[in-house]
Amino acid sequence: MSVSTPKLLPSSGKKSIHDVCHPLSCEEAALTTPSPELQNTSSIGDKDLSLPNGTPVDTSSPASSSSLLNRLQLDDDLDGETRDLFVTVDDPKKHVSTMETYITYRVTTKTTRTEFDLPEYSVRRRYQDFDWLRNKLEDTQPTHIIPPLPEKFVVKGVVDRFSEEFVETRRKALDKFLKRIADHPVLSFNDNFNVFLSAKDLNSYKKQGMALLSKMGESVKYVTGGYKLRSRPLEFAAMGDYLDMFTQKLGTIDRIAQRIIKEQAEYLVELREYGPVYSSWASAEEELRQPLEGVSSCVANCSTALEMLTEDMSEEFLPVFREYVLYIESMKNVLKKRDQVQAEYEAKLEAVAFRKEERPCAPTDVEKCQDRVECFNADLKADWDRWQNNKRQDFRLLLTGMADKNIQYYEKCLAAWESIIPLLQDKPDGKGEMPS
Amino acid sequence: MADSTSEDVAVVGNTDFAAADLHNNTNNTVTGYSSFSKTMMEEGVPLLKKMEISVSEAEKRTGKNAVNMQEVYTVYLIETRPVDAITEGQSTAPDSLWRRYSEFELLRNYLLVTFPYIVVPPLPEKRAEFVWHKLSADNMDPDFVERRRIGLENFLLRVASHSVLSKDKIFYLFLTQDDGWKDVVYDTGFQAKADSRLKALNATFRVKNPDKRYTELKHYSDELQSVISQLLRVRAKVADRLYGVYKVHGNYGRVFSEWSAIEREMGDGLQSAGHHMDAYAASVDDILEEEEHYADQLKEYLYYSESLRAVCRKHELIQYELEMAAQDLISKKQQREELATGTVRTFSLKGMTSKLFGQETPEQREAKLKVLEEQIVEGEELVKTSNAECDEYVRNAWIDIDRFKEQKNQDLKEALISYAVMQISMCKKGIQVWTNAKECFSKM
Repeated sequence: MSVSTPKLLPSSGKKSIHDVCHPLSCEEAALTTPSPELQNTSSIGDKDLSLPNGTPVDTSSPASSSSLLNRLQLDDDLDGETRDLFVTVDDPKKHVSTMETYITYRVTTKTTRTEFDLPEYSVRRRYQDFDWLRNKLEDTQPTHIIPPLPEKFVVKGVVDRFSEEFVETRRKALDKFLKRIADHPVLSFNDNFNVFLSAKDLNSYKKQGMALLSKMGESVKYVTGGYKLRSRPLEFAAMGDYLDMFTQKLGTIDRIAQRIIKEQAEYLVELREYGPVYSSWASAEEELRQPLEGVSSCVANCSTALEMLTEDMSEEFLPVFREYVLYIESMKNVLKKRDQVQAEYEAKLEAVAFRKEERPCAPTDVEKCQDRVECFNADLKADWDRWQNNKRQDFRLLLTGMADKNIQYYEKCLAAWESIIPLLQDKPDGKGEMPS
Repeated sequence: MADSTSEDVAVVGNTDFAAADLHNNTNNTVTGYSSFSKTMMEEGVPLLKKMEISVSEAEKRTGKNAVNMQEVYTVYLIETRPVDAITEGQSTAPDSLWRRYSEFELLRNYLLVTFPYIVVPPLPEKRAEFVWHKLSADNMDPDFVERRRIGLENFLLRVASHSVLSKDKIFYLFLTQDDGWKDVVYDTGFQAKADSRLKALNATFRVKNPDKRYTELKHYSDELQSVISQLLRVRAKVADRLYGVYKVHGNYGRVFSEWSAIEREMGDGLQSAGHHMDAYAASVDDILEEEEHYADQLKEYLYYSESLRAVCRKHELIQYELEMAAQDLISKKQQREELATGTVRTFSLKGMTSKLFGQETPEQREAKLKVLEEQIVEGEELVKTSNAECDEYVRNAWIDIDRFKEQKNQDLKEALISYAVMQISMCKKGIQVWTNAKECFSKM
């Protein structure tokens, strides 16, 4: 946990509204002193620092686009010192009312930022609230890539939304979503994010949402009247191409991973049948009884190891692919918006050029548009680089993790088989010679 | 007989290896082999101690079968060489001849009939059984032929190292006489001695006082057969799935390399990790090929269980014959008593006729008694010999059963060890590949 003094930031005028109490957050009101429970969450936060899932945040300013580009170079530095906002999602709870049944998650925040009135918050949020936050971010930060939320309904067909596995998978995805925002130099300063993390009653915010949005005036209207973009600048065209290819490869990898899990599950079924055959044989033998039973228990050990491998893979591997598939969708949206902004600018430019012939003047409106395009491009490029780095780190971690899990699996099997060699060699007590 | 046949062999051997033996004096070789064959048949030492035997080659042939239909079959080259020659450092070319699988079958059937008290080694399977899907079930498949070649060699080595079977002349001729071997086998008339299945079945159901040891043994061989066949069936499925798991990983190889094309920093790591995934997928072929050897070892014992049962069946048959003889003797004795005392203990046709038609004359009775007396003496003799035969069978069979049990425990223990070693090497390979891949991933 960062203990550096909170740095002064140009305040965006965040007003805290704590007067209305959210029914769900009552028992977990914001705390001024760290409770043991929160101490615990902070330690989780500390552990997460080692995960290269986000770029360290420079707290000097809420990131203008130009400075962002420079700061992105240090992404390999995973030192948590520069971080000042830690968010964790945990403790899912089921709520049953006459109207509906739903799950809430505890969202715990620890921060030194002055935008927050308190250093720690703990609130309860449901999926809807996360969805609200994401829409808000998309509306207010159109030039940025917003991390994805898990799908509303994960798998087609009947999914038990209240099953432990489903809730846990979703919890992890929501946790990742908030962590990605918290680590983002711009998004993490978004007012809606602040409200989401700290407000006792989010519903009142949700209701006044529309008014707030129009006040901010940041929303960009994209009325291009069907104007077609002359040409996407090369670098953005390359991004689009990259995303198309990457989606394709990701889809393939996802299918392979699922297929492997399926094959392993079937392998496990057979192994579970295989081991006991040796023990039933053992019961018919005298001298061979011990060796056969040894092989049987060895196969059982390998089965257990395989089950763990498969479980780990489906829990840790597959969700990352899903997140990235959704991430790509989000990025494609931003690319589209960028094109629209540019198209708007080009349309204006053309109109001005047409008018110019009659009456030359200084078109400030066009300049504004041009600025907007440039800002957009800069933000997008910065986010793109940031995303590329995140992706690289995520996949490095994911794939080395996959290799590690497989190595562990083989090591367990190896240990099991090596341990029965002395038994097979008729020296159950002494240490038999290891075959080379 | 051994002499004359071995001369034939020598001639055949010389024509086959004319190139290698060019400077050898043919006469010398013939006499050499003649004396060799005599020492081969010496008492007390298994043939394998004196003769090196191998099935070294398989070859596809086409020919006409009995009904004049064109058929394709495989022949196996059996090579034999006296051990003396090897230890003395003479580089004599081995004696060799070709045999078909059906000839091996004939040899085995002969051995089964001739040595009913021996647990005769089984032949490798006629058709591929318990195979996982990647393996061909085709009899002409080169892998199948190769596995069968090893199996046939193993069969010969087992027979040749057996203290009783290895001394059989027919077996020796099988190894050494190319022409007319079949006729020699049929001339032994072994087929007439074969017990019909029906007779054996009859004995199984009617034997009154089965030997407990043999009943247990029969039960054990049933159990052994069912458990090994189950094991083989499940193992084939396990192999199938293992194959699937490895091969699907191979797809990573392709997609990683395609993916690496669009990446800058990650590209190299992905590309080389992809190669390791390819290697991982390919490694399963060797693993499963090796495992197939383990399956063959198990299969041998699956078929051994049938040999074991045959020994038990034969015992039942002998026991049954003994019981029948004893039964016959008892009834004869009873008849004599009836005749002597004139009382009828049990209701019988004879009793009825005597009641209906009056008593026989004393002369008639005297003559009948005499015949019965003779039959009883014969019967007693028969029971005595049957008893002796049965005892001898039990004794001989048990010796071989003990030998078999020891061999089985030893073989299977070794098979399990080699299986465990295989698994260990598979795990080590797995660790190696994933460690390499991990290194590539961590460089991304």
